[in-house]
Amino acid sequence: MATLKEKRTCGQRCEDFGRFVWNSDTGTMFGRTPEKWVYISLYYVAFYVIMTGLFSLAIWTLMYTLDPYTPDYQDRLTSPGVMVWPPTYIEEDVVLSYNTSDKVSQRKMSNCLSNFLKPYNDTSQQSNRNCTRGEYFKQEKFEAPHHTKYSCRFTQSMLGRCSGLDDPTFGYNGTMPCVIIKMNRIINFLPNNGTGMAPHLNCTILSGHDNIDMIEYFPTNGTFDLSYFPYYGKLAQPTYVNPLVAVKFHLVKERKAKIQCRVVAHNIAYEDSYEPYQGKVVFLLKALK
Amino acid sequence: MRYTTSVTKGLTSSKAEEVLERDGPNELLPPKGTPEYVKFARQLAGGLQCLMWVAAVICFIAFGIEFSRGTLGCFDDLYLAITLITVVVVTGCFGYYQEFKSTNIIASFKNLVPQQALVIRDGQKNQINAMDLVVGDLVEIKGGDRVPADIRIIFAQGCKVDNSSLTGESEPQSKTPECTHENPLETKNIAFFSTTCLEGVATGTVINTGDRTIIGRIASLASGVGNEKTPIAIEIEHFVDIIAGLAIFFGFTFFVVAMFIGYAFLEAMIFFMAIVVAYVPEGLLATVTVCLSLTAKRLARKNCVVKNLEAVETLGSTSVICSDKTGTLTQNRMTVAHLWFDNVIHAADTTEDQSGQSFDQSSETWRSLARVAGLCNRAIFKPNQESLIVVGDASETALLKFTELAIGNMMEYRERFKKVVEVPFNSTNKFQLSVHELEDPMDLRYLLVMKGAPERILERCSTILIKGQEMPLDEQWRESFQTAYMDLGSLGERVLGFCHIYLNENEFPRGYKFDSDEMNFTTSGLCFAGLISMIDPPRATVPDAVMKCRTAGIRVVMVTGDHPITARAIAANVGIITEGSETVEDIATRKRIPVEQVNRRDARACVISGGQLKDMSSEELDEALRSHPEMVFARTSPQQKLIIVESCQRLGSIVAVTGDGVNDSPALKKADIGIAMGIAGSDAAKNAADMILLDDNFASIVTGVEQGRLIFDNLKKSIAYTLTKNIPELTPYLIYITVSVPLPLGCITILMIELATDIFPSVSLAYEKAESDIMHLKPRNPRKDRLVNESLAAYSYFQIGAIQSFAGFTDYFTAMAQEGWYPLLCVGLRSHWEDVHLQDLQDSYGQEWWVSVIEICQIADVLIRKTRRLSIFQQGFFRSVDVDSMEQMSLTPYIQSYTPCYVSFMKGWGQWWFVPIPYGILIFVYDEIRKLGVRRHPGSWWDQELYY
Repeated sequence: MATLKEKRTCGQRCEDFGRFVWNSDTGTMFGRTPEKWVYISLYYVAFYVIMTGLFSLAIWTLMYTLDPYTPDYQDRLTSPGVMVWPPTYIEEDVVLSYNTSDKVSQRKMSNCLSNFLKPYNDTSQQSNRNCTRGEYFKQEKFEAPHHTKYSCRFTQSMLGRCSGLDDPTFGYNGTMPCVIIKMNRIINFLPNNGTGMAPHLNCTILSGHDNIDMIEYFPTNGTFDLSYFPYYGKLAQPTYVNPLVAVKFHLVKERKAKIQCRVVAHNIAYEDSYEPYQGKVVFLLKALK
Repeated sequence: MRYTTSVTKGLTSSKAEEVLERDGPNELLPPKGTPEYVKFARQLAGGLQCLMWVAAVICFIAFGIEFSRGTLGCFDDLYLAITLITVVVVTGCFGYYQEFKSTNIIASFKNLVPQQALVIRDGQKNQINAMDLVVGDLVEIKGGDRVPADIRIIFAQGCKVDNSSLTGESEPQSKTPECTHENPLETKNIAFFSTTCLEGVATGTVINTGDRTIIGRIASLASGVGNEKTPIAIEIEHFVDIIAGLAIFFGFTFFVVAMFIGYAFLEAMIFFMAIVVAYVPEGLLATVTVCLSLTAKRLARKNCVVKNLEAVETLGSTSVICSDKTGTLTQNRMTVAHLWFDNVIHAADTTEDQSGQSFDQSSETWRSLARVAGLCNRAIFKPNQESLIVVGDASETALLKFTELAIGNMMEYRERFKKVVEVPFNSTNKFQLSVHELEDPMDLRYLLVMKGAPERILERCSTILIKGQEMPLDEQWRESFQTAYMDLGSLGERVLGFCHIYLNENEFPRGYKFDSDEMNFTTSGLCFAGLISMIDPPRATVPDAVMKCRTAGIRVVMVTGDHPITARAIAANVGIITEGSETVEDIATRKRIPVEQVNRRDARACVISGGQLKDMSSEELDEALRSHPEMVFARTSPQQKLIIVESCQRLGSIVAVTGDGVNDSPALKKADIGIAMGIAGSDAAKNAADMILLDDNFASIVTGVEQGRLIFDNLKKSIAYTLTKNIPELTPYLIYITVSVPLPLGCITILMIELATDIFPSVSLAYEKAESDIMHLKPRNPRKDRLVNESLAAYSYFQIGAIQSFAGFTDYFTAMAQEGWYPLLCVGLRSHWEDVHLQDLQDSYGQEWWVSVIEICQIADVLIRKTRRLSIFQQGFFRSVDVDSMEQMSLTPYIQSYTPCYVSFMKGWGQWWFVPIPYGILIFVYDEIRKLGVRRHPGSWWDQELYY
């Protein structure tokens, strides 16, 4: 390859580059004449304008074809997730830890819960209906004003001793803290596949059995009432609130326990170890002195 | 004696053993082979391989950083690094295996039959293995033997050797004990290793053995010349430069952007690395290797063995072929081409099988002529051989074969005409005669038959046979003889004259003592029978192949040691000199002007002999090569062959050289691709060459050219494809970093796409058929037609890549939206999306998602799979001129190779598969419009900007 292997000095290379930048013989700049640069730029501008136009058209078509009430596919979201409040983490694990003698740490926990419960106060829930307990609240039509559907009322007071109404500290001033368990909402999800059995919360102690004296559920039995299902989506039910279950733990001795709270229903999966928040939540409850 | 040997008894066995111990065996050591591990290492150290090594190291570093920070989300980087290394090693093994195999094929040529030598030791004649010869040994050689070492002749009888493998001279050299010249190559008393003794016997002492022989020295000289880089290696390096430049440019840009947006330094660094790695074309290496080795395999089936895989492509860019004549263009055997008798020139059949005789054989003259040709002939068929193997000099062999076909069973025919006496050919009288008894036992006359140089024969004749009648040889007949002789001579053929006479019964009765030295019999007043001319005819496939070369824009230059006239005749015959082309001399003759007055530019053809070449400066040679498209070099020496090759290379050509002799090996090395002959080629030539033609057939070269061009085209397509894919792989990152959408494309996904989808197309690309016009285009100009050029990069990146990116994002947003995440919600969602502490992230419909579901939901996994599909449409359409055939050939393999991937990747995600199809159609239409423009308006702005 004698033809290609001419060794060129740095000076020659620089010169070549200089000629590439501006070649006075052909009037080219970076390999093209200014005129050609204008042409090629125009070509690319036109190309990208058209492409952007087509892309916008595609997205517009997409939005146009989407159903505003329900997503087209729910295959990724078949079973609801469950979360505990207050959601405080240490690394990957949920750890609810407070100091019984430290007002600041108590207030942090209680404030979190009272903030969380704000949408559930009586004034917010005023517009929602009192639904018949114990049965699904199915609505085929948009009967509520502004072409929406009715949502059922879930008030703070339903959480009894954990409502924060009587005890604004939610028990964090002592050894009987409240936690609130929320089940994620999924459009058109019917717990127990419409058999009429209400799902309920069941908390079990994974370790530290001796440290918990008693578990109280509010509402009683930890039931998520059927009237809150199905959920019809943000657009149809703008005032919908998730049903909640509050749990009050009576801590004794070391005041420390690992707890798993699971929503019991046939069609709520919980066994997948890769998905720790599916159908259940595991947390460590710690009350320091 | 210098060699402690005896002229009669030779060495003693013990002494011989001692010398053997000291000097080693008498054989050419194979050129110091590269150790196998170095060969393997070389496979791992090409341009692309280096790029991948760097990428792997970067991956390890990124992995290390993440590991030490304890933020190890996944082992992506580690897997990536391991995969990269695996790809390099696997393709390396593959390439190594290929080369190993072809080396083996070549090695199998050597030592087919161990050479024997007749040696005199301790006064005894022994057949020993030529390997065991030592300096001082006394050896005997006879006609047909290969000279076993460099030998100084001490006794010779009519000994002639063929030095063509050493010097390229095709004339046999006679060897005598006298020292006639200082230069060992010129002197008559030294016979060289590996040359062939044609006739006679000789005895001599061995003066050099093994690598110290002349041939050994030439061989080791040639192997000392370093291998030049192949064009494809240069192209790939160029490509790697571009890729590396782009990768670092983009990576750095992203790095700056990421830092600007507020990422931590290390995180930005990881982005940088991810981008650099995303740029590495993992599949390309496999493509190149697969392409090259499949083609090498295909070529091997057509009798071309490729020693160096990359040489396959070199052949494709070849613009000049310097071809040998003998054996490559011709059949390498003298064949009777024409006969002149009854004052008419008859043409004989010169095809390889010589099936039919095309002339009228009824004439009496023909019978006499055939009888003379058959009887006055010393060539014989080797007895006890299945096939007809002839022993004898080339023209006698030709005559024997010819008469065998015409008369049949020559051996028996000669029995019938018992030979009485014979005078062999010698250079003073230039004829050969023999006297025979007649077939008819009642006829007691003797028949004297004679053949030789036509003018000498004619001198001795007084009559001429015309239609079986003896006519007096008058001026008129002499005139027509001259014409015929000139005509045949100008065809480059070797002409022999034949005559006979019935000796007078009374003067030479039975039992007459004929004396071959005294010549005590009539040798004049003979009866002229006719002329027979012979030539080494071109192979049947060659004219077609030369034609193909010409349409493919490749010059075929003939370089031969033969006579200019013969060379020219063959060149005209095979089409190297086309019909109607004239040399300067032709024009001069036609116009009746002196040669000096002819405008050299008018002459298309040019025949330059070695003598003329010697007086030319290199500029003059360049000028001659430039101004005459049709060149023939005759009577050239090996050194001149090298000069011619260098001159062609100076003119910017990629030169292929064919050769067989040891003397060709420097030229073979110097050439961009050296092609050695498998049958006639010497080991030295084979060692120096990059490719070996097992059947010595020129036509095979043309096949190789076609395959080489195909590879270049396919690689270009493959690279366009690879480059295109980079953009849709990068833009998700860009959008991820700048607009903060959830990451559309994970590292592993990219890897899967790269490997799973790159290698299949690679394989199918290697099988892709040639575009129909591949052999109608000019060879590529290595300086201008690069594998990757600006317009290819621009087209891939900024046009097709852009369309694919848009397609990808459409798909991404579609998938996200259909799962519940509207495009506008996606923007800026990243921090929430990746927040492992957020278990109720709300989508556009108010549904709440927990983190694990989100991770699984790398919806856009589908994205690139989709964009790859686009490439299916795009694939193969890149350079098409013949759209229809392209469509068939590119779509079928793609659908085949993609189908299995589809199935395993689908898992209910198939719906998003169809989203980018409109974009696919768009790419297809766009590319077709582009090509239409390129085809319709060659040279226009459109062509310049959009053709690559």
